[in-house]
Amino acid sequence: MSPFVQQLTSLAEFTHIKELIRLKNPIVKLLEWPVRIQSGIKVLCVLEGKFEWIIENKLHFLYPNDVVVLCPGQSLGSPSGTLEIGSLAWITLQPESFELHKELALGKWSAINDNDQKLLGRLLVSHSPVVLNNLKQPYELLQRIENEIKQTEFAYQVRVNQLIDELIVTIVRQLSQQQNQRRDFPQAFAQLEQMLRDSLDHPWTVEEMAAVVGLGSTAFTEKVKAFSGFSPLNYLINIRIAEAMKQLRQSQKSLTDIALDTGFYSSQHFSTTFKKLTGYTPGQFRKRGQE
Amino acid sequence: MDCIVTLDIGTTKVKASAFDMSANLIGWRQGTYPTFHPQPDYSEQDSEQIFLTVLYALKSLLNDELGKKYHPSALVFGASMHSVLPIDKQGVPLRNAVIWADNRGRNEANALKQAPEGKLIYEATGTPLHPMSPLAKICWFHNHTPPTWFEKVYKFISIKEYVIYQLTGQLVIDHSIASSTGLFNIHTLTWEKLALDFAGIKPQQLSELVPIDFGELKLKKEYVRLFRLTSATKVIVGASDGCLATLGAGVVTEGDATITIGSSGAMRVAGNQVIQDSQQRFFNYLLTKGKYISGGPTNNGGVVFEWFVQQFGTSGIHLDMDYTIKQLLMEAERVPAGAGGLLFLPYLLGERAPLWNANARGAYIGANITHERRHFIRATVEGIVYEIYSIGKLLQQYRSIQNLYINGAYATLPLFAQVLSDVFGKTVYINDKHDSASAGAALLGLTHLGIFKDLEDAARTIRSVETYQPNLTHHERYGRFAEIFERLSYKLSEDFDALVALQTP
Repeated sequence: MSPFVQQLTSLAEFTHIKELIRLKNPIVKLLEWPVRIQSGIKVLCVLEGKFEWIIENKLHFLYPNDVVVLCPGQSLGSPSGTLEIGSLAWITLQPESFELHKELALGKWSAINDNDQKLLGRLLVSHSPVVLNNLKQPYELLQRIENEIKQTEFAYQVRVNQLIDELIVTIVRQLSQQQNQRRDFPQAFAQLEQMLRDSLDHPWTVEEMAAVVGLGSTAFTEKVKAFSGFSPLNYLINIRIAEAMKQLRQSQKSLTDIALDTGFYSSQHFSTTFKKLTGYTPGQFRKRGQE
Repeated sequence: MDCIVTLDIGTTKVKASAFDMSANLIGWRQGTYPTFHPQPDYSEQDSEQIFLTVLYALKSLLNDELGKKYHPSALVFGASMHSVLPIDKQGVPLRNAVIWADNRGRNEANALKQAPEGKLIYEATGTPLHPMSPLAKICWFHNHTPPTWFEKVYKFISIKEYVIYQLTGQLVIDHSIASSTGLFNIHTLTWEKLALDFAGIKPQQLSELVPIDFGELKLKKEYVRLFRLTSATKVIVGASDGCLATLGAGVVTEGDATITIGSSGAMRVAGNQVIQDSQQRFFNYLLTKGKYISGGPTNNGGVVFEWFVQQFGTSGIHLDMDYTIKQLLMEAERVPAGAGGLLFLPYLLGERAPLWNANARGAYIGANITHERRHFIRATVEGIVYEIYSIGKLLQQYRSIQNLYINGAYATLPLFAQVLSDVFGKTVYINDKHDSASAGAALLGLTHLGIFKDLEDAARTIRSVETYQPNLTHHERYGRFAEIFERLSYKLSEDFDALVALQTP
């Protein structure tokens, strides 16, 4: 770690916090800030200065109160390697698991339920790179986390973990909202559709889908029906069966494997749904393709 | 009671509608599907998902909406033009369908334009030599896939043919959809050898040609059951959405024109002759034998206004596009015709007719210090209309046009309708049947069943419910803007090229 970086405090008790750092940079430093691959989930707040960085291969201009959230394996740095004048603060969390194509599990310390953690992972990846403009709360939360750790008052461990959860919830809610502020529903829906296709085997619920679009479930269901003609779950089933039709005719995979792959929990459930929608059982449909 | 069921397979959705035997709409159901853009120039769709959405829309219309009260006498198909889906011998799609908006065949279309046979192919097929044309797309497949793959392709079909094939097991293509492939001779009604040779395919690799009122299709028994039909229901192949929309707007003879502004736009006329434009700026598609639908398409319709709304419309209401659009149009109404001298070229997506310049780009010109947001809103509406007018002006060199029938979500908004009427200096009519493509399919079905004598007779049932009269002072003023608009569109072409080079990484 460079000498300009001030490790905020001892984190020995919090194995899930890899670093909690405040960086104040008074002069321009060459070669200090090259594009680097990140490990862990990093929440970085810009406090002072203007930064011109490459985040995930795209140029971004960052100003005070901007917040960047990176997933493991994503990259950030200055194109010339220069660190401009200014100050930054960040926290890096070490999730229990969040490898490529694996679902996010933060660890036992978090009170966010498993499904919401998985959704968080999916949202971070699909909206990558996450850059939130003009959002003050994350830095305020970082400061409170720092104070708790320094002051070691009664049950501070619990408080720190609650504050990290709060930080995550703040980011997710802001993310769905900011993404959608200027967008019309069809665009938000297209992004959701891509997420559904990317993890078709996940047992999606309407609440989860609504969260992706940044709406409550009732408003979401109404909008989806008006826009697509389908209820959210029927739309999902439609994508699942379309994928199954392709696999039935283009692969030798067993019906059970196709069912599980496309998000049906049993081949019985798969067969009835398939027949109801297409008029054929999966077996008949496969044979029909081979005639 | 008897009824007619129509199915319109569009770019973003499929719509199943039911009409009574006098062509009045009884009810409809629809379902949407996405377009994928795996690369910037690519636009693809999943044929299985489209087919499932067709089943869903038909099933919910027939089983839920209509119930036991109505008995469909016929089912008629309409669909978007220009899609290409390669299938193998078992009828299994070898990849996603490539749709009209896909531009991967850019180089192939240019090569064809330069080739000596280009002009002959355009004259024979009526389809402009453009990447939208299936001819250019099949050439692309030929040039960019391994020969082993290309040989595996049993047939190149369209999305509509695939849906019909799934439902009936029959591979047929109607003359109307065929006339949008760039492969079909619209004068002799056969596949055009010059075009097929250029694409490197044989006639056997295309479906069997049938007239649009071909009614010898038989639904598979599973679907008869699924839709709760009987074998008495006639299944009629139908035509393309553009041709059906013209019929459904009541325009089948010379003297009238339709203007559609949805997400994209088009101006179309009908006639017994094709329009032979030496600069190849118009399409000539076939509605039915000897009945041609000619005109020009624009990329930059409502989609451009939506872009403006997304970027500059600040609405407090979450995700509610319709509300924001209404608010902005109200602001624009407070600005006099001509937007205070602010002029907009709407070429955000490049342009087809009449420029046929993929590198054309958008521009606001004439801004001064007194202009406000509302001037920009009004200029955006007017720019979209000037573009339609530049197509119309050329069309009028070949056809006299008395009446304009407008349709599509944007053209029928009051401000758009009034500006259209003022710019053209003509009365503009809005019909009782808002969805003219479905109405056209119903008229075709009813004619086939003998309810109407012919398509002209059927078209007479369409009634106008709203009219806009031109303000001649505005018309005169708009005329001066339209001149500048046209001049700039061509004059800026070098700078468009230079800017596009800077926009490409």
